This record gives sequence, C-alpha cells and structure tokens, in this order.
Amino acid sequence: MFKLTRRQALAAFSAMAPVATWSPKVEAATPRDALVIAKSIDDIITLDPGECYELTGIEICTNLYDRILRYEADDLSKMVGGIAESWEVGADGKTYTFKIRPGQKFMSGNAVTAEDCAWSLQRVVIMNKTSGFLLTQFGWNKDNVKELVKATSPDTLVINVPAAFAPTLVLNMMTSIVASVVDMKTALANEKDGDLANAWLKTNSASSGAYKLVAWRPNESVTLEANPAFRLGAPKLRRVIMRHVPEPGSQRLQLERGDIDVARGLTPDQLTPLAANKDIRVESFPGANNFYAIMNLKHGPLADVRVRRAVKMLVDYQAMANTFLKDRFFVHQTFLPIGYFGATPYNPFKLDVEGAKRLLAEAGYPNGFEVRLSANTNNPFPQIAQAMQQTMALGGIKVTIASGDARQVIGEIRGRTFQMAVISWAPDYFDPHTNADFFVQGEDMSDPPKARTGPWRASWLIPELTAEMRKAAQELDGKKREQMYIELQKKVTDEGPYVWMFQNNWVIAMRSNLQGYPKGLFEDQFFYRTISKT
Amino acid sequence: MQMRAWLLDPAPASRRQAQLGGWFRAWLAFRRNTLGMIGLGIVLLLIGVAAFAPLIVDPASALTQVLADRLQPSSWAHPFGTDELGRDILARVVFGARITLTIVVLVSLIVVPIGLAIGLPAGYFGGWIDAALMRFTDIFLAFPRLVLALAFAAALGPGIENAVIAIALTAWPPYARLARAETLTRRRSEFIQAAELQGASHLRIIATQIVPLCLPSVIIRLTLDMAGIILTAAGLGFLGLGAQPPSPEWGAMVSTGREVLLDQWWVATIPGLAIFVTSLGFNLLGDGLRDVSSGRG
Repeated sequence: MFKLTRRQALAAFSAMAPVATWSPKVEAATPRDALVIAKSIDDIITLDPGECYELTGIEICTNLYDRILRYEADDLSKMVGGIAESWEVGADGKTYTFKIRPGQKFMSGNAVTAEDCAWSLQRVVIMNKTSGFLLTQFGWNKDNVKELVKATSPDTLVINVPAAFAPTLVLNMMTSIVASVVDMKTALANEKDGDLANAWLKTNSASSGAYKLVAWRPNESVTLEANPAFRLGAPKLRRVIMRHVPEPGSQRLQLERGDIDVARGLTPDQLTPLAANKDIRVESFPGANNFYAIMNLKHGPLADVRVRRAVKMLVDYQAMANTFLKDRFFVHQTFLPIGYFGATPYNPFKLDVEGAKRLLAEAGYPNGFEVRLSANTNNPFPQIAQAMQQTMALGGIKVTIASGDARQVIGEIRGRTFQMAVISWAPDYFDPHTNADFFVQGEDMSDPPKARTGPWRASWLIPELTAEMRKAAQELDGKKREQMYIELQKKVTDEGPYVWMFQNNWVIAMRSNLQGYPKGLFEDQFFYRTISKT
Repeated sequence: MQMRAWLLDPAPASRRQAQLGGWFRAWLAFRRNTLGMIGLGIVLLLIGVAAFAPLIVDPASALTQVLADRLQPSSWAHPFGTDELGRDILARVVFGARITLTIVVLVSLIVVPIGLAIGLPAGYFGGWIDAALMRFTDIFLAFPRLVLALAFAAALGPGIENAVIAIALTAWPPYARLARAETLTRRRSEFIQAAELQGASHLRIIATQIVPLCLPSVIIRLTLDMAGIILTAAGLGFLGLGAQPPSPEWGAMVSTGREVLLDQWWVATIPGLAIFVTSLGFNLLGDGLRDVSSGRG
C-alpha cells in the first residue's frame, strides 16, 4: 500500500504542476529589437537548405537563404524574382534562362553569381537527400546535372529540363527550398571529405537572405540575426529567437506573461479565453493542409462509387467546423488548398442522411455495413473520427474506431491494411502538381508500386484520370492548365476514395504590440523580416 | 444472537461449522479495521454503480455527442459538466466503471490460474521443474511491467480485449512466485504425507490440499494488485492502446481532457478522480485483508 500511495501522490503532483506554474503576473517583456517565437522545434534535423525537408527547418531556411525566384511577403500570390531578376522560357518549353540581379552580396562579402546558383542546384541533385526528388523528377541525376544546370556567364543561369513539365511547375520549383542559393566559396572552404559542405551547413549559414544563423541548439532554440544589407532592406527586428516549447499550456502561460511574442501551437480551447486579454491578439489566415478520410476500395462496400458518395453525405462538415474545429479549420472539399494555383471552392457534400440512405439502398446495402476507421490519438483526429462515427451511424454504417499513434496509422495506410482512416496532407511545393501527383496518380496497383500514391493506398485504379493529370502538368498555357486542374478536382471529389473535409487555418496568438505578421500559406512563406514592434 | 454463538462455538460439531466459524471470525477482525472497511465500501460502491449504471444515468448520454453543448461546466443537467464532444461526463464516468470492472475481473480470471499453474508444480515437484519454471518467470519479471504491457498492446493492436491480455501477460509472475513459496512451506506437512500414503495422486493433492491453502494469500495479493491493474489499464487507455473511442474508458477520458486542463479542468479531473478513488479503495481493502490474515496466521 505504501508504494502505491506514493505513486499516487506523485501522479497528483504532476497533475498539479501546470497549475503550480500559474504564478502571479510578472511583466517580463522581450527585448524591443527581438522577436521570440514559441513552437515545437523537435523536427529540425539539419539547416542545410540542400537537405532540409522538415517543416520547422524549411521555415528557418526560407528566412536564411534567398531563392532563385520568390513569392514575397508583400504579395504572397505573385511570383517575383529573387536572386534572379528576370527569366525566360525557351520556345521548346525545356530551356530556362535566368538573369541574376546585379549588385547582390552574400554576408561573407562575396558577390552573388550564376555560379553559386548552379552549384546550389547541382549539390541538391548530387547529394540526393530527402528533398532531392523535387529536382531529380526533372530528369536530372548526378551524372548529367552539371551539363543541364550551368552558368553560361557570371550573371546568366541556364537550366534544361528533359522531362515534360509545364513551365509554371518548373518556375514554381525555383521558389522552393531546393532553389535556395548558397555561398559557394564560403561553403567549399568548409567542405569535409567531399561532402559539399553538408556537415558544416547543418549548423551554419552561408547566405544572402534576410537573416543569418547564430545558433541552433536541438530541442532548445534557434537564433537568427538580421542581415542589414538584405536586398529588400534590413529586417525590422534585429534578432529572432525560436524557442522549443512543445506544450500548448506552457506556450499560453509564457505568452500571457510576455516571455514570448508569438505562440504557434495553441488549440482553440486555449485561444478562446485569450480573446479577453487586450495584451494579446489572435490572427488567423488560411494554411495549405488538407484534412480528409481515405477509403480503401479493397473493403467490399467501398468499391462501389455510390457507397463512397453516401459516406461523403454522412459527415456533418459544418457542425465540426463550427464547434470543436472552429477558427482552426474551414470546409474545403478538393485536393488543392485555397491559395494554390488551380484551387476552386467546390464543396458539393453536406450531411444528407436521406440521400445517403437512398444511395446505399441502390448499391445493395439498405442496412448499411461495418467499417473500421483508423485515427491517430492527436487532437483533432479522435474528435473528427468520433463525429463521423455518430453521423455515419445515421445512415446505418457501423463504424469502429481504431486509434493508435501517428506512425501506426500511417503504417496501416502505407501497408494498405486500413479500411478507412482520417489523416492530413501538407503540400511539398507551391504548384498544383505536388498534390495532383499524389492524389491522382493511380495506374499501378502492384506491390510494391513505382510510387506509393493516394490511389495506390486506396486501390483506386484510374489510368484515364492519371493521364489527364499528367497532361495538366505539361500544359504550357496557364489559363488552360488552371481549368484542367479544376475539372480534375471535381472528378476526384465526386468519385474518388477521399472524403475531403477541411483546410486548416493558421491561428497565431501574439502580443498586441506586434505588427506586420505575414499571412503565409505554408512554411516557405513564413517570413520574419516584415514583423515589427510598437 | 444464537447464530453468532453457533458460529463462535470453540468446539464446533461439524466441519462446516468450523469453516463458517473461521470465516466469521475473520470478518469480525476485518470489521475492526476502519480503513479496510472504507476500502470495502468503495469497492462495493463501484460494483453497485457498474451494475445499476443504466438506472443511475441515461445510457445514451454517455455516447451521444451534442456539439453545441461541448465543454459545459457543472450544471443540473450535467453535474460533472460535458467533454470536448458535448457528452455528459457523469454518464461517462458511471459507464466507465463497467469497463474498469470488466478489465479487473478478466485480468484476475486469467492471472490467477496462470500463476497457480506455474507456481504450484514448481514448488511441489522441485528439482529441474522448479528451476525451469522459475527461470521462465524470471524472464517476465525482468521487464518493467507497464513497458511490457505497452509492447504487447501495441503488437496485438489496440482494443480492450487485447489490453486485458497484455496486462494479464505481465501481471502473472508474482502469483507464480507466491504460489511456489506457499507450496514450499506446506510441501513437507504431515497432512500431505498422509494423503500421499493413502495413495492420492499428485494432481489430487495439489488440487484438494494445496490450492485451498494458497488461495487466501493469492486473493489478498490480487486485491492489492487491483490498483496497479487499474492504473495500467488507464495508462494504456491514456496512450490510445486500451478501450477505443467512443467507449468511456477513464484513462482515455483523462487523455482527451488534458488539452483543456487550464480552462475546463473538469474534463480530465473527474475521470482522474474516479481512477484515484477506485485504486485507493482496492488498496485499502487489500491492506485490511492482509492485516486480518497475518493476525490470524
């Protein structure tokens, strides 16, 4: 008994710990020229822009390194020059010529040349780390990349793309993390055993961007210092410190005390009480993540398109978005998030029990069927799963929820052993092809396939749609290309194995003296340089 | 009064009277143990709540989501408030008692036979059988219990049946040890030798002579272990490996409530209190039983 009471006492103490830190308010404001962000940063593995492909790392790198082209904070919807000031697409749609903006300097003092650009692109392909596929899909590999990516003069970069891809796609790729321009001379001076400075760049920066890296301490903090000579003008705040605060509860307390300026992981139930605090402002703007349920066609009834439509009619999207997902999500039922080229506000499905019952009866399931729904245990997945369970029961579909940690659920989906699962998706780069390629490539159902895409996971064989998707990726005419994606999305939403539900909002709580927080769709656009304090 | 005198008769006339008298004396001793009685009260209350759950609260309100009424504080309609999907927490805690009791009972039903089946032959036969069985037991004892249960639950897949199996697989070794120790102390007793001389088989001796003598200490040990079993089950539920949503398992309820702990403290606290009180009840009961049995021995 003694042992157990001690254990219980310990449990009681740890339960009270968050309350204990609720000390009287001490105003400890952050320095006037520094921005302190609280966020979970345990996903960072490296800050080398040629390797980094983790969300927080991408966000840091977008502030450290300038890229060949850009979507800038001032107008996030318009592609503009970055390191390159102008660009030209050859008549064949395969050759791209970039003119480097004159007078740019790396923080080392070296001039920014086309050589640096070519070398930066080449090293991504040669190292071929996690993000390498973004460029190797162009048909580049370590043997041909020095031929296909070249500086023809100090201010001219010419790239050749053997694979058939729409120019908009190739140019959009030049705005992604793999097009970050690294200071070649400084990097090569720190090269070890021919690693193209991969080890050194992991914890150092050699850039011409808005900030330079002062320190990255894993699971503790990242510190950046402003580059006063940045081509778009010096950032407004001299220092940016990102602190590792994984617990939403601690983030909120620190924000209320003024220990941090921005909290990046608060849940809606913590945000509501903050609304009353006049020292804190909450800003919300669309993100680019899709939340959806995937249906496995190998599970008998789900092979019938009428059943899939019925399932889509048995989800109360609006009720969820109005209550426990309020502010954090909005209903969006296509595979391209709003804000993307080709996105469309097409939301055909809402809760319609009678309609769903009719479809189920037509398909031969008047009494419904049983299905297992997998969901990971992190908010909001269990809540979404339980809400679906309740509404699907109205149509006679008996849902059993199987929860597990995120890795287990993903494992089930990748192993194609799931029946239905609630998951989310974040795009890789700023072009519709990133999502289309994943959600509409379904011509190879063998195991293992060439690509483990959404249709492969769901056993949804769609050679015609896949061909349409490929054509859209190659369409040279921008207007036509946009229309092709809209058509494609409608078909996938109507017939596909995905119950599209929500697109996320970024909900950021900040001290009210903060101004100019950019409304970036995703990590590539989370700029710090426009943020100021009054 | 007559009954009492009959039970306490120092010279019982029949075997049955002696046995019942023994039980009655134990009860009298136990009744003087206030903490033990409190524990018994809590356990009986738990059993009562579980048995009459549908009479205490509306069964539907434990599972029906009313999204408009989510995270409501305590009120007449919802004495313990509502959770993140607008379900009545009182109803969920009440029905959660059923799940907890089911786990506890099923685990006991698995653990005791396994423990006895391994411990009794080890103590009775000794020699290489003892060595083999006990080394096997040692292997299981070498792992931390919760971690082993987690591994089993993860391998078997989430769900309440698998949680029960996982807990049982990790909980039996102490019972084997205990059964072996009890057997060793009785093995050379005269009444065993008498039974052997009369030609009783090993199985018969174990089943009729040794098991009844082992059982009291095993039951006491089991009662003391209940709290551990409940906490392990809650831990599995907390990590999503126990009972699956929407079933109102207490550990899973604490897990979902932790996100709103600062503002809607009741969502995590009420099921947490339920776990705490129930564990305490079993502990106090077990302590009381142990005191009585050691006093008697």
